[in-house]
Amino acid sequence: MMTAPVVETYALGKSFGETPVLRDVNLKLYAGRAAILIGGNGAGKSTLLGILAGLGRPTTGRVTIFGEDSLSLSHQNRRRIGMLSHQSWLYPNLTASENLEFYAALYGLPHPEAVAHRWLERVGLLPFSRERVRAFSRGMEQRLSLARAVLAQPMLLLLDEPFAALDPEGVATVGGMVREQVERGCAVVMTAHGPTAIEGLELEAFSVVRGRLAPYGGERRGGRLRSIPGR
Amino acid sequence: MGAFAAILRKDLRLELRSGQSTVALFALSLLILVVLVFALSPDPANRAEASAGALWVAMVFAGMLGATRALLAENENGCMRALATSPIDPAMLYAAKLAAAFIFMTVAEGAAVILVVLFFNLDFGPELLRLVPPVALGTLGFSALATLLAAISGRTRAGDLLLPLLAVPMFVPALIAGVKASAAALSGAELSAMTRWLGVLVAFDVLFVTLGGLLFEHVIGED
Repeated sequence: MMTAPVVETYALGKSFGETPVLRDVNLKLYAGRAAILIGGNGAGKSTLLGILAGLGRPTTGRVTIFGEDSLSLSHQNRRRIGMLSHQSWLYPNLTASENLEFYAALYGLPHPEAVAHRWLERVGLLPFSRERVRAFSRGMEQRLSLARAVLAQPMLLLLDEPFAALDPEGVATVGGMVREQVERGCAVVMTAHGPTAIEGLELEAFSVVRGRLAPYGGERRGGRLRSIPGR
Repeated sequence: MGAFAAILRKDLRLELRSGQSTVALFALSLLILVVLVFALSPDPANRAEASAGALWVAMVFAGMLGATRALLAENENGCMRALATSPIDPAMLYAAKLAAAFIFMTVAEGAAVILVVLFFNLDFGPELLRLVPPVALGTLGFSALATLLAAISGRTRAGDLLLPLLAVPMFVPALIAGVKASAAALSGAELSAMTRWLGVLVAFDVLFVTLGGLLFEHVIGED
């Protein structure tokens, strides 16, 4: 029996005033699968992720997340979405540990301190757990932000340029974490400016050009990217 | 309830760490009261009215700062979006931000009341306790209104300008009631002289706490 998709968009369109940003976007993504949206600045990738996260309302069309309309998503299903945005969504005057403990408590996770410790260790920031985020580099903030996004074990993970500002070690850490999430059944939608691959993970690739979604590389490449070792 | 406590604890921790709001609220209250005590030169006949007026002017300005501070941290790094996409009930989020603003304001008002007593030559006596109901109700109402409006104005470019333009006129009914009730409290008038005005404050609180709880979802929600 075919399972229902985690994300499905139907003729999705979004305009800001008179300016169309997304046009006729049809996307379907199942649990345990990953998609990458490739496009330049202003192509509409972040807007699409924002709509999938419930931060924006489609102008036309419809979006369902876990089978529910995205505009009336239940709290139970909201809990199952994690997002890494352009902004870190971290409090600069809290330490790395305090930030993760806060989000763990917000999501009702038991033992927030233990949760924070585990994820700080996973993203390689345990030695900096008592440092305020204000003192973090962009790459450290990005890793901590990913920990924030996944700590509640979401079933839909939305990642806006997750590899931005990362050094090679950070790329490997983040890539590994994304692969782990997919392997445990999470659906992942990520964006990038160019072809990006994660070792051991098949990404369904789409190009986003002026708000339109198409299989990346057209029929010839079947819209799928495989691992490119070392990116 | 866990999320409510987490947000409130986080806001208080941020405030204790920076101390920005409390120091600014205290300094602003002090400045306002110094100006007013010299401007009004109250004599014994109108001391209660003048001191009540000065206290509420300080409260309004301090409250504006307090409510803004409680939401300012959320605008940095887009944290409000994290809260908006989290599973927390928006009404619960509003309640937590309201509680934080109420606590910031209450701390500042404690200092303001002491300054009013000193500057206006009032007595530190049990009659000061009669100030508690109007001040507490006024603080709750102003926190409720300003938290909602600060969330709205925080999404606009000229948010800092917009907040007082929206908040002060809307607070006028509660301001009048608060000044009248406080003046009655300080002049030692009968309790019945206060109750009518306290009723106005209660109605204002119920209105704006309810409105805030209902509207906060739309204020912080979608782009």
